[in-house]
Amino acid sequence: MTSRFPTNSSKKPLYLIALSLFAIALVLPGCGKGGKSGDEIRIGVVLPITGREAKPGQYQREGIELAMKQINDGGGIMVKSKGKKLPIKEVFYDDGSDQAKSAGLVERAMTTDEVTAVIGGYSTALGEAESVMPDRYQTPWITPGAAATHIFSRGYQYIFGALSSTDLLGYTTGEFLGSLVDAGKLKKNLAVALAVENTDHGVEYGAGIDRWIQDHPGYFHVVFNEKFDLGSPDYSGLLQKVKNAKADIFLVDAHLQDYITMERQYIQSGMHHQMLSYGARGPDKDARTALGDATNYIFAGLWWTKNLPYPQVKKFNADYQAFAGHEPDSYYPAPAYDSMRALAAAIEQAGSLDKTAIRDALRNVELKDSLLPGQTLHFGKNGQVSYPFVIVQNKPENKTDIVYPKDASTGDSVAPRPPK
Amino acid sequence: MTTVDIVNLFVSALLLAGVYAAMSVGMTIIYGVMKIVNLAHAGFLMLGAYFVFELYTRFHVDPLIGAVLAFPVFFSVGVGIHWLMIRRIPRSDQPTLTSLLLLFGLWLVLQNLGYLIWGNADRAILTPRTFSTLQIGPIIFPTVRLVVFGAAVASLLALEFVLHKTWFGRAVRALMQNSDAGRLVGVNVEGTARVAFGVGIAFAGAAGGLLAMMYSFTPDFGGSFLLRAFVIIVLGGLESFAGVAIGSLILALVETFSILAIPAGYQPSIAFSLLVLALVILPEGVAGLWNRRQRLT
Repeated sequence: MTSRFPTNSSKKPLYLIALSLFAIALVLPGCGKGGKSGDEIRIGVVLPITGREAKPGQYQREGIELAMKQINDGGGIMVKSKGKKLPIKEVFYDDGSDQAKSAGLVERAMTTDEVTAVIGGYSTALGEAESVMPDRYQTPWITPGAAATHIFSRGYQYIFGALSSTDLLGYTTGEFLGSLVDAGKLKKNLAVALAVENTDHGVEYGAGIDRWIQDHPGYFHVVFNEKFDLGSPDYSGLLQKVKNAKADIFLVDAHLQDYITMERQYIQSGMHHQMLSYGARGPDKDARTALGDATNYIFAGLWWTKNLPYPQVKKFNADYQAFAGHEPDSYYPAPAYDSMRALAAAIEQAGSLDKTAIRDALRNVELKDSLLPGQTLHFGKNGQVSYPFVIVQNKPENKTDIVYPKDASTGDSVAPRPPK
Repeated sequence: MTTVDIVNLFVSALLLAGVYAAMSVGMTIIYGVMKIVNLAHAGFLMLGAYFVFELYTRFHVDPLIGAVLAFPVFFSVGVGIHWLMIRRIPRSDQPTLTSLLLLFGLWLVLQNLGYLIWGNADRAILTPRTFSTLQIGPIIFPTVRLVVFGAAVASLLALEFVLHKTWFGRAVRALMQNSDAGRLVGVNVEGTARVAFGVGIAFAGAAGGLLAMMYSFTPDFGGSFLLRAFVIIVLGGLESFAGVAIGSLILALVETFSILAIPAGYQPSIAFSLLVLALVILPEGVAGLWNRRQRLT
């Protein structure tokens, strides 16, 4: 690396420019809010509001902040040991959808910022990275966005999850398709093609579907089962393999961008299946904008939908609209909102800001007016909740109906999907 | 698998090669002339995508015309950035740590500016062209990919023309081959480098506009293309535009057809493996192999 020409300026200013660029880049994405005080309850929130998971992370942040605002508007959380209500102070960090950064920021919140608890980890990958910190610093951590069961099967004592397992999502998908067979809408023993993202989320989703099919012989059989990589610019090879498998039903577990890319190529290749799902993706606003009518009749398994017929959901929808300036998009804000409320209930129950006492209280807390399906939020023995999923189906004119379970349905399921 | 399936896959690979060539050519120009690995390339792809998106949503400008309009705009941006930062990098015949750090920092700044301006929503351009296909017998050509392929071929042909038929092109080739000698025969090194950087950024911006017709994007957009761009320019030969076309075709063919034999989850390892193989076996790329053969005969 020899300089063969005289330079027209010295190296110093360049290094200064390079360093300044780094500094600006590092400072811009997320800034923690400092300020320690005994007269407040500091809650760490670590979510991605930039990067690949930015949108869901943003929605979850809004859900948490709405709950915080409502609690603070009511005077805060009653802490018996202090003899008064204390307001919540949020310490927010944007992890930029980066696993290493995510874990580091949770550590920072739990140590430097001395938070009472942390809510964070949207997506299984980021949640998994964060999940190693809570036991190390004996600080309760609730994830409103990581659903893979294996996070909760490692014996950690301070971790809690507000999403039912992805395995259950797969299993419920199987149940829904089975109900269509029972209703005579689909024939028996149809061939299923499975393509899942190469993550724990995808693997568990596929395992859940497989489990249902094995538990219910004669309903479906799997003719294709493969993983694919996130963020691929081209799915033509994978789709060709699916085409060759001659499946009747195509089930995918994908992130939003992959859902959009794959569905575009799916339509272009002229493929059609009797039923099509992208796992928990389907009614997302960005996807419907990007894909238009191509999203019609795609079904999705969701942890929550704004169409649930509970009075508290209607109130939440209105409050959220007023707070965030837009309607809830997909399921994201509700588990986050309930995570904060469950944490507040646990702090009140613990009667102090002792982290172990709050952890113990979280194990017993029951949120009776939960927004989530079943209306009760209760963490299981491993720390993860287990409430039922709802299946929604996109309909023309941007409509989305709950189609399963029947008692919550807002419209009939359309099966098989009409050809284009 | 039938012959029609294989032909359809080949068409997909060919069109994917067009996408890859479109997004790699700007990086090759900059490396060829200045020996700078433009790590901010993905940032300009992203800005190009938003530029076309804004033109489309605000003024209903067809994305294809938007991509063409992106060229002069991003050329000016590139010249400005060269004046502001790049000209200060000490010249070398190898990429320097300073240039890598500077451009990586610039990429991060562009990303974060993107978040400040457009937020984190997934944007996409949906036109009647998005889902339309051209069908010749049983062979399907997605229109959007066909358009991008055409644009990539046109870009490479235009570049070849400029490089061989204009004074600027000769100056660029001289600097690519031997910048000392080029300077001695009167090539304006600084001026040529400035224009070459501008052209490289212009191609990146236009490519981003073309990619916006196919993919949804956020300010993070472009990162996944960066590794592929490296593979392509290493495969094709770091300073060769014909090599870009060959490198793109090899990568697209290998990625598309290998999935038939191995699980799709291993797709990223294909690009990495190709990069390692090219560096070990063909350090000068396919173009280097061709040049060596020419010399021998």
